[in-house]
Amino acid sequence: MKINGSCHCGAITVEGEADPERVNICHCTDCQTGTGSAFRVSIQVPGSTFKMTGQPTNYLKTTADSGNPRIQAFCGRCGSPIYSTTPGEGQQPSYTVRVGILQQRDQLTPKRQNWFRSARSWVTELDAIHKNQKQA
Amino acid sequence: MRIDGGCHCGTITYQGEADPEKVSICHCTDCQILTGTAYRFSIPVTGDSFKISGEPTVYVKTADSGAKREQAFCPKCGSPIYAASPGPGPKIYSIRAGTVRQRYQFVPRRQIWTHSKQPWVNDLTGIPAIEKQP
Repeated sequence: MKINGSCHCGAITVEGEADPERVNICHCTDCQTGTGSAFRVSIQVPGSTFKMTGQPTNYLKTTADSGNPRIQAFCGRCGSPIYSTTPGEGQQPSYTVRVGILQQRDQLTPKRQNWFRSARSWVTELDAIHKNQKQA
Repeated sequence: MRIDGGCHCGTITYQGEADPEKVSICHCTDCQILTGTAYRFSIPVTGDSFKISGEPTVYVKTADSGAKREQAFCPKCGSPIYAASPGPGPKIYSIRAGTVRQRYQFVPRRQIWTHSKQPWVNDLTGIPAIEKQP
């Protein structure tokens, strides 16, 4: 399906064709720090379909358990995370795009969870936490 | 309770006093975009206890309420650090819990903006999970 989105300030836009079966949650500690939140939600986008306008800031993360270096791209103006990918010049084979920035985010349900061993204890029980429809 | 933490690359570190009863989740669309994920998980810290080293980039957004909010993140690695009201005077720093070393000890006490939450977030038990990665 077609996916598209932008960072919060609009400096960076992305689009591509992605398989909705390729939506993952990652609970690893790098993703917790990189989102500032409980876990990350991402979708794999083949490089051949991925288009971007604007220039993200690239951070080379070398702390993956696999030893594989990853580029973490984010908007240098508003901080929105955009994607991660393999290092190197030019178009990469695949982009792990952050679902939160996509217009289709409500249609993309995660199909698997990785690094569950470091998940927050309460993530499976959000229903138990007091809710406000809007602001407190 | 005392908390400390920092960004992924180590450029920014901070410490402060947190109130465990005020820990929250926000499902608003601004938080979904600015984290790139399903919701934001924050731990508030009082302004007079908050100490930070390193210089975050600050992006000012206008919330649905009309209030301006500073969103601070590391310019090198992109880790979100805090949100706060602009300008001088007493303030609360809403620390991005994923960067807090003691985050394992905090459980959110409330959720806001649930009307825009992702449809699947309440129950992750139906989604296959593995300890590490494939």
